[in-house]
Amino acid sequence: MKKKVLSVLLAAAMVMSMTACGGSDASSDGGSTASSTTSSSSSSSTESSSSSSSTESSGSAAAAVETPGEYVLEDLYIVVDGTLTATVDNGQDAFIEQWEAAVSQKLGHSIKLHINQLDHSDYSGTVSRLLTTGEPGDGSFPDALIMSATMFREYAPTGLLWDQADAYANAEFQSRVTLPSINENMKDSTGALYGFAPTYGNGCVTYVKKAWLDAVGMSIDDIKTYDDYYNMLKAFTEQDPDGNGSAGTYGVIAAGYGKLDEAPFINYMPEFWQDAYPAIYQKDGVWVDGFQEEATQKALQRLADAYAAGLIDPDTEEAGTKQAREKWFSNDQSTSEGVFTYWAGTWLQTLTDNLVKQEVDSEIVMLPPIAEIKNSWGGYLNREAPVWVITDDQNGDNSREQAIFDALIETMLDGDVVQTLWTYGAEDVHWSTHAEEFTTNAGTDKEKTYSYEEGTFHLKQSPNDPNSVWKKNHLDAVLVIAPLTNGYVDTSELAVAGNKFFTENCVDAPQAPASETLSEINNDLVDLKKQLMNQVVTGEKTPADAIAEYQEAFGDQIETVLSELNG
Amino acid sequence: MAKKPTKTSTGEPIRKKPLGTRIWNNRGYYLMFLPVLIYVLVIYYWPMLGVRYAFYDYKLKNISYVGFKHFQTMFGDKDFWTSFKNTLELSIMKLLITTFVSVLISVFLNEMGNLFVKKSLQTIIYLPHFMSWTVVAAIFTLFLSNSSSGFVNETLKSWGVIEKSIDFLHKKDMWRPIFYMINIWKETGWGTVIFLATLSGINPELYEAADIDGAKRMQKIWYVTVPALANTIIIVLILNLAKVLNMFESVFVLYNTRVYEVSDVISTFIYRKTFLQNIPNYGYTTAVGLFKSLVGCMLVLICNWASKKIRGRGII
Repeated sequence: MKKKVLSVLLAAAMVMSMTACGGSDASSDGGSTASSTTSSSSSSSTESSSSSSSTESSGSAAAAVETPGEYVLEDLYIVVDGTLTATVDNGQDAFIEQWEAAVSQKLGHSIKLHINQLDHSDYSGTVSRLLTTGEPGDGSFPDALIMSATMFREYAPTGLLWDQADAYANAEFQSRVTLPSINENMKDSTGALYGFAPTYGNGCVTYVKKAWLDAVGMSIDDIKTYDDYYNMLKAFTEQDPDGNGSAGTYGVIAAGYGKLDEAPFINYMPEFWQDAYPAIYQKDGVWVDGFQEEATQKALQRLADAYAAGLIDPDTEEAGTKQAREKWFSNDQSTSEGVFTYWAGTWLQTLTDNLVKQEVDSEIVMLPPIAEIKNSWGGYLNREAPVWVITDDQNGDNSREQAIFDALIETMLDGDVVQTLWTYGAEDVHWSTHAEEFTTNAGTDKEKTYSYEEGTFHLKQSPNDPNSVWKKNHLDAVLVIAPLTNGYVDTSELAVAGNKFFTENCVDAPQAPASETLSEINNDLVDLKKQLMNQVVTGEKTPADAIAEYQEAFGDQIETVLSELNG
Repeated sequence: MAKKPTKTSTGEPIRKKPLGTRIWNNRGYYLMFLPVLIYVLVIYYWPMLGVRYAFYDYKLKNISYVGFKHFQTMFGDKDFWTSFKNTLELSIMKLLITTFVSVLISVFLNEMGNLFVKKSLQTIIYLPHFMSWTVVAAIFTLFLSNSSSGFVNETLKSWGVIEKSIDFLHKKDMWRPIFYMINIWKETGWGTVIFLATLSGINPELYEAADIDGAKRMQKIWYVTVPALANTIIIVLILNLAKVLNMFESVFVLYNTRVYEVSDVISTFIYRKTFLQNIPNYGYTTAVGLFKSLVGCMLVLICNWASKKIRGRGII
């Protein structure tokens, strides 16, 4: 009997403990906010009082926090993706040290920068976990972070991002902004600016191996239409452009037949997609679902035909950007491809450097948009810019968020020391103005010596690869909305030529939509679209069947999304 | 289990001391047990409290009670049922095939006279077990690739067997057979350990008796070896049956969007819904996870019952 009583008591205790935990759930949300506010208040009070050396009592500390402008940010936690090229093994320590010194001086108090650089391929997943589990100031919760346009549109309505509109309007760099439309377009219908873009978006350009064109007796000037493009791919596949005497080469490779999870979706294979846009976008002022349009069916058919003819490397289906580009500039050209559509500007230099490093003929030519692209979009698509967002602690006080803006974004575009850090990296690690001479690829036929006089700005050898010259850090000097004022300019002719080519041949990509229903179904939608696209391209389904399946699965929800967007 | 005596041999009732006294008398043992109890509660039971989120919408920092909404969504979700069906089919087929091949190889190895060859073969077939699934997937993906760097396709083409590359891992009708083959390659060797141990315990007199009766080698295998293994085979099947819903890694590294219909299992379904969404709803995936745990729990109880029936003792 006693045993029974004991077991009942134990079971009851367990149920009570579960209920207690469950019961505290709703209150824990409020509770955690309150406690974070308290801790933030108390820490900030300490900071305020220590900075002002006043004799404020702890009781008045909260008031100090609630007074805008008195928040002293001593630790800044940021989360970045692979676009910060000063990685841990590539001089990030020096970048942080110099950033802390420069920003501390600007702010008048010491500040520490903590960078959490996430795996680029799982960035959005990890960010969502950090933002779910952390609390401001706990070291893992980001004060600010980078978001792609697609991520940004999903996060903007969540209340987790701080409205930077006022801070942006009052920023010191405003007078130097040459491209104000970039951030003006980021504002929502109420004028709120939840993300700040320091650069414009950039886009992709189709690169072709010059040696392969020569080998098949073609010139880039001959490629004017889709048919010309198709024939070029066919020649690269069938006419042994690598000259090894056997087949195995392909016309083109990309990271997926379409990058359906990231706007502008069609930019890795624009010649096939042409006027199609397989996502929800605004057409003549009305939101429509491009995946259901006839243009998408035709694009899928073009991809399927080219795949069936063996012109598209089958590795495209599973390849990420890294695998695709590495196969393109691989030392083994016998299974490589002639065409690769990738990011413009600095990437032209990077791809060329890699071809050189792999001892492959390195001349790359850029294909101007074919007629079908020009006649529909007007050129290659310039994507919506990635943005920096600041997390809102939702305590009704903006002082923390303003302090983050001042420390991170205001200084990022100071035109001088800090902007140089974000643009080129750390002085005397990634770049220098001191006289020096260095050699890359010493002892090979690609050996090159660089010599600079004292006072000349130049990029140094990459910290983790002495055979290549450092290119840039996070900001692209050519894409930035407020240029540097210290005259430091990267002299890479290829990067400049690449940027010039792109800006002359691009148009802005359609704006991504923001809808509650779309946020809920977006990932399932993308999953299904990817699945259907792959099935159509590889000949398992017809485009019409794929679209019908899509409509059956998501037709009603898409209607809801469109009615939300069109009001 | 025999019932504990309640009376002494002289008929006097046995008087138990009160629980508190017994605990106090054995306080040393209880003290030693305390760290284990705390460890189990904190590491195993505390996280279980998270199952309550199956009844909540949990997106970023917004948590709100929604009752059974996620279960309703789940039961109406075609993809969920596909993954559930695939989990059972893939796991059970894999279990049967690998067990059968393990038994077969164990018997062959047992029959092998040359000890050096036997030991060498054993070592060779064990090795794949120690490779991670990621490496195995990378090897087979390259090996079976339909691009011009794929070894199998290029070889078959050069021999004139096929004209066009076969997309082995992306075809719905080929994915499962390949998945089973890779599993056999990787896990069969390790699966033989328990059967070889059983075989080494068979009384040699049984074989001698069979020899005297004029039994041939195949007859000895069929009438002596296989019956001796039967109990072990059943135990292995029962023990593994309880784990059939835990399939994740092997599928995750080998599947792709084109074969979801035949390859997506509950764990990969949960993974995609949790980790590959920009803003996941943890409530929904917790509900799916909870359902999976309940079914898993039922399977364990069924296996326990089956084990009691067959072996006379349970597995838990």
